[in-house]
Amino acid sequence: MIFQDYVFYALAAILLVAGLRVITARNPVHAALFLVLAFFTAAGIWLLLEAEFLAITLVLVYVGAVMVLFLFVVMMLDINLDKLREGFWDYAPLAGFVGVVMALEMASIVGVRHFGVNVTGTPEPHPVNYSNTAELGRQLYTDYVLPFELASVVLLVAIVAAIALTMRRRKDSKYIDPAEQVKVKRADRIRMVSMPAEKEMPENGEGEQA
Amino acid sequence: MNNPIVYDLMAARPEILVLTMAMVILLVDLFLSERHRYVGYVLSQLTLLGSAILTVATHTPGVAYVFNGMFVDDPMADVLKLMMSLATSVVLVYSRSYIATRGMYRGEFFALVLFALLGMMIMVSGSHFLTLYMGLELLSLSMYALVALDRDNPRATEAAMKYFVLGALASGMLLYGMSMIYGATGALELGQVRNALMSGQPDHAVLILGLVFVVAGLAFKIGAVPFQMWVPDVYHGSPTAVTLLIGSVPKFAAFAFFMRLLIQGLEPLGIDWQGMLIIMAVLSISIGNITAIAQTNIKRMLAYSTISHVGFLLFGFLAVGPNGYTSAMFYISAYVLMTLGAFGILLLLSRQGFEAEHLDDLKGLNQRSPWYAFIMLLLMFSMAGVPPTLGFYAKFTVLQAALQAGFVGLVIFAVLMAVIGAFYYLRVVKLMYFDEPIDQTPIKPQADVAFVLSVNGLLVLLIGLMPEWLMELCAYAIAQSIQ
Amino acid sequence: MTYMQKIYLLIPLLPLLAAVVVGLFGRKLPRFTAHLFTITGVGASFALSVLVFQDVLAGHIYNGAVYTWLTSGHTSFEVGFLIDPLSAMMMVVVTFVSLMVHIYTIGYMHEDPGYSRFFSYISLFTFSMLMLVMSNNFMQLFFGWEAVGLVSYLLIGFWYTRPTAIYANLKAFLVNRVGDFGFLLGIGMVLFFFGSLDYQAVFSVAPQFADMNVEIVPGHSWSLLTVVCLLLFVGAMGKSAQVPLHVWLPDSMEGPTPISALIHAATMVTAGIFMVARMSPLYELSTTALSTVMVIGAITALFMGFLGIIQNDIKRVVAYSTLSQLGYMTVALGASAYSVAIFHLMTHAFFKALLFLAAGSVIMGMHHDQDIRNMGGLRKYMPITWLTSLIGSLALIGTPFLSGFYSKDSIIEAAQMSHIPGSGFAYFAVLAGVFVTAFYSFRMYFLVFHGKSRWMEAKDDHGHGHDDHDHDDAHHHGLGPHDKPHESPWVVTLPLIALAIPSLVIGYLAIEPMLFGHFFSNVIFVDAEAHPTMHELAHHFHGAAAMGLHAFTSLPFLLAASGVALSWFFYMKRPDIPAAIRQRFELVYRILDNKYGFDAFNEKFFAGGSRLIGSKLWQIGDVTIIDGLFVNGTARLIGRVSAIIRHLQSGLIYHYAFAMIIGVFVLLTFFMKK
Repeated sequence: MIFQDYVFYALAAILLVAGLRVITARNPVHAALFLVLAFFTAAGIWLLLEAEFLAITLVLVYVGAVMVLFLFVVMMLDINLDKLREGFWDYAPLAGFVGVVMALEMASIVGVRHFGVNVTGTPEPHPVNYSNTAELGRQLYTDYVLPFELASVVLLVAIVAAIALTMRRRKDSKYIDPAEQVKVKRADRIRMVSMPAEKEMPENGEGEQA
Repeated sequence: MNNPIVYDLMAARPEILVLTMAMVILLVDLFLSERHRYVGYVLSQLTLLGSAILTVATHTPGVAYVFNGMFVDDPMADVLKLMMSLATSVVLVYSRSYIATRGMYRGEFFALVLFALLGMMIMVSGSHFLTLYMGLELLSLSMYALVALDRDNPRATEAAMKYFVLGALASGMLLYGMSMIYGATGALELGQVRNALMSGQPDHAVLILGLVFVVAGLAFKIGAVPFQMWVPDVYHGSPTAVTLLIGSVPKFAAFAFFMRLLIQGLEPLGIDWQGMLIIMAVLSISIGNITAIAQTNIKRMLAYSTISHVGFLLFGFLAVGPNGYTSAMFYISAYVLMTLGAFGILLLLSRQGFEAEHLDDLKGLNQRSPWYAFIMLLLMFSMAGVPPTLGFYAKFTVLQAALQAGFVGLVIFAVLMAVIGAFYYLRVVKLMYFDEPIDQTPIKPQADVAFVLSVNGLLVLLIGLMPEWLMELCAYAIAQSIQ
Repeated sequence: MTYMQKIYLLIPLLPLLAAVVVGLFGRKLPRFTAHLFTITGVGASFALSVLVFQDVLAGHIYNGAVYTWLTSGHTSFEVGFLIDPLSAMMMVVVTFVSLMVHIYTIGYMHEDPGYSRFFSYISLFTFSMLMLVMSNNFMQLFFGWEAVGLVSYLLIGFWYTRPTAIYANLKAFLVNRVGDFGFLLGIGMVLFFFGSLDYQAVFSVAPQFADMNVEIVPGHSWSLLTVVCLLLFVGAMGKSAQVPLHVWLPDSMEGPTPISALIHAATMVTAGIFMVARMSPLYELSTTALSTVMVIGAITALFMGFLGIIQNDIKRVVAYSTLSQLGYMTVALGASAYSVAIFHLMTHAFFKALLFLAAGSVIMGMHHDQDIRNMGGLRKYMPITWLTSLIGSLALIGTPFLSGFYSKDSIIEAAQMSHIPGSGFAYFAVLAGVFVTAFYSFRMYFLVFHGKSRWMEAKDDHGHGHDDHDHDDAHHHGLGPHDKPHESPWVVTLPLIALAIPSLVIGYLAIEPMLFGHFFSNVIFVDAEAHPTMHELAHHFHGAAAMGLHAFTSLPFLLAASGVALSWFFYMKRPDIPAAIRQRFELVYRILDNKYGFDAFNEKFFAGGSRLIGSKLWQIGDVTIIDGLFVNGTARLIGRVSAIIRHLQSGLIYHYAFAMIIGVFVLLTFFMKK
């Protein structure tokens, strides 16, 4: 075992514990924070895999932007945890059984027997002047240009959908238009009205409008 | 033309048109007053027309791989794209007055429909796990948004939420399965995956794990049992116009998705996925047909009917070989035509403040409008598989293909289930012709709806009488595209 | 396709086209187009038929297929035409009578709401009948056979709101089914044994089977050809209303009068006669079959005539005379005198159509009162109808030199000359029939056109006519005491006159070429050695004029004259005698009034019996086993299962997600173990 191995096992252990805590933590804020921890450790593992750019992006995007938003939302919503956990123990035996068996089945495959180094071979380390970022960029804009563009369309749809679903314009809301305020003229504000000095008796009900 | 990217782009002209126009409609809509909302509608229809024309005009019998093997332009893709463009156009015709009276007659609606269509077109032309997945996500995301677009309708919101969460779960499964197959074969492009499988090198256990998840994801998208749970709730909860869209056009894409993934990519694993499809087909036909009987809501009933039709569709894939695929393609075309008509009738009966969605709303339709009752009769007969309608011929070819492949017991079972299924279709006919109408509002469709709906209904009969050309079209598409 | 072939095709298709156009669009088009289109179609068809007739006279015979419907093994089902003197003559008769009836209908139906429907039907009928007579194979013959049956059904029930009409058309349909069943069996045997449905092929191989026997009931063997001929004749009995399948024809008078003339007198009912004549090469091979045919014809001829005596409905009298005359034709067939039968068919078509149309004219004049007891003295009011009726009646009873005389006398002579078993009875029957025919024909004639105008006598209980057009209860049928009958419009009288002319002269002109010339020489086959009737008949024939002169001293003429005289005595001179006879011979009257009990027997035995069997099968088989066990049992089971499965759809998202996980789990577990 070399140093990198120790680092890997340490990070992997933290990742697993953090992941477990995300779904077991009673407080949603804590769960979100454990998720942040999981992202961090995952980024660490990616660094070990020489995927520096992705590791940095993961921290920047997920930890820096997504998770902060997440925390805001979680803190603003009043979530009744006890209600959510209602019936947990009713389902636990069956769910537990299925979960355990399935985990065992998957583990039997996603394990050393099928994905061990002796099966896949040891990956060659990249040369020193290899740039993961440059390589990603080259791939994205040449071979993978179609999925890349499609991803942008997916994001556009997400934006459109989010706006269409959430933007509400109240019909009775009053707001100020600064442009109108600037453009306003004296004549718009003041109206000269000539009134007779002596009031006449209203005829035919027209006096009501004056 | 020497620049390879230009060549690539030429192959994707219909997609580019749809994408561009979706964004144009979004922008144009900003400058439209309420009175001019129809501009978005007209632009969408023109886009669909243009996409159909472009598809036909750029059609060549050969197979062309572009974008570094990620996108394929073959006759199957062209035929399906043409059908999808036309079907979407019909959807918009039927939906127009419905969405206009429910505050959805907006640019977003049309843009989302076009984005969904774009996603479907990408799926149809995808020859790479990544493009297939991106197309699927584009479609799904647009659909989630469309279901929820009627924001003040709590049932629609609930349906959208269910659809979204379950859809995300299914996407995750699909992606996980794809990653496993990538892990075993080291390839993402379908042709390379196939070659790797043919070589016999990849680890079979890993492949099975991947295959199970891929099939589960596919089954969710097409609505096969036991991944069908979302179908009734989403069909029921969505605004009928969106149900019409979800129930019809994406089935073409789902068919293509099956063809690309299971046939073009994973056919060497046929022995394994065949078994999975048999289980799902049997469950889908029986649960779909039997549960449909207990429904009182016609949208739910049609949802279960869809599930049973999916079972029949899977029979076509069971019969591995061009015959089976042709029959499946024929079946899906027939299914979409029938679904369009059936929901078209429901949209016709709906009006401001009234949703036609209960079986009772069809009572005495014959007295209110003999012609549309007759159209509905044709559609119901066709769904039930009564000769000489299209539905009969579709079921017949699929079962024939399965029979030739040796699935005698399954075919007998399917026929028995189809007989059970005939009950709830014929109940609709009974309600229309022998019961007194509850609702006496006169039916006054706009001219375009009346025309398209009539043509739609009659086509079900006419193609049933003369199925050869559609059969030949499907056979051509399959023969030219699948080696 | 040659020029003539196109004409052959056009002849049936023009009426069909007219029928389709008028039938589908008649309600949208103006009223006059209904008769314009159909009369144009049938008129053109008639003109072309005459053209074809001349062409055939010039010796051009055509036999070939124009369209192959389907081929199954070595048998092909074709639409083909056999145009020879027999079919050409039938075509002319059918189209001519049909044309007359079309014209007549304009006047008769002019206030009926089903005007265009009626025209569509009769044009459709013309098409069907033409297909029947022009056919060159059994398949198409059967098509025409069924098609005329169908149109007849539609027309008898034309006034479908009347229960009696519905009863009558159902009866006609069912009785014809019995006949058709035999007919179809016969065709099936022809196909099975002779290997073809084409007339020419069947006739050419039939002699080889003359000695072949078949065992239908084990232990009893019958001559194949006898069985085939008898089965085919069962069909003819149904269509041509021979005893005991005659019961539908009198009831068919529920239909409007024009179709009584066209279908139930002149054309369709003669289809059976035509068919047997067409099949002469088969019948000639079986003397047994000929004997049966002859006896059945004789029974029909005599006993149906008796029934005509007591009828009071003007149309029913004519209907029973039709039955009787069909019996005559059948006797001629049995005597191997096919050409005589066809000859009588032709003359009968003219004068019987005439009599029916005249009866219709009388009914119109009497404002839809059909009871002859309410008529009388109409001669003064309806001169044309009177005169043409007289011509028709004289032709019917066989007055020398009129058309009926030549054909009927030939039949009587043929029966006399025939030596096959049963010919003695047949001779007696047709001879006695002459007297009966004369009696009831002139009974009707005298009651209608002579004597007192009885409608003037106050009457409250006058029989309601059957031929009423509408059901407006306020509408008064029949004439009041102060009304006067009126002559019918020209569209009605013109066909009467046009039919009266051939009724007078056609026999005199046609007897020599048709019976003794070579007109039918290649068409109708007679085995001169076994059945020398025609040969002997020719021996006694010395020209039409001589035959007419000679007749005044013959037995049939004396019988006819005495029949006329007796009816004059009974109904003009001493009207009290018939009533007295009726009281004295109560039993006979009752038997005749009940039509020998055929209807009651059928109603009780066949209808009642099959209803009984049907209801038992329905109760045990359908209700208990199929409905109870299979249909409802399964349905209930599925309904329950459905209700249970429905609860799985709980609407809870985690249930759904869990179902998906379970699905993956099951698939994974199941397929990883493999």
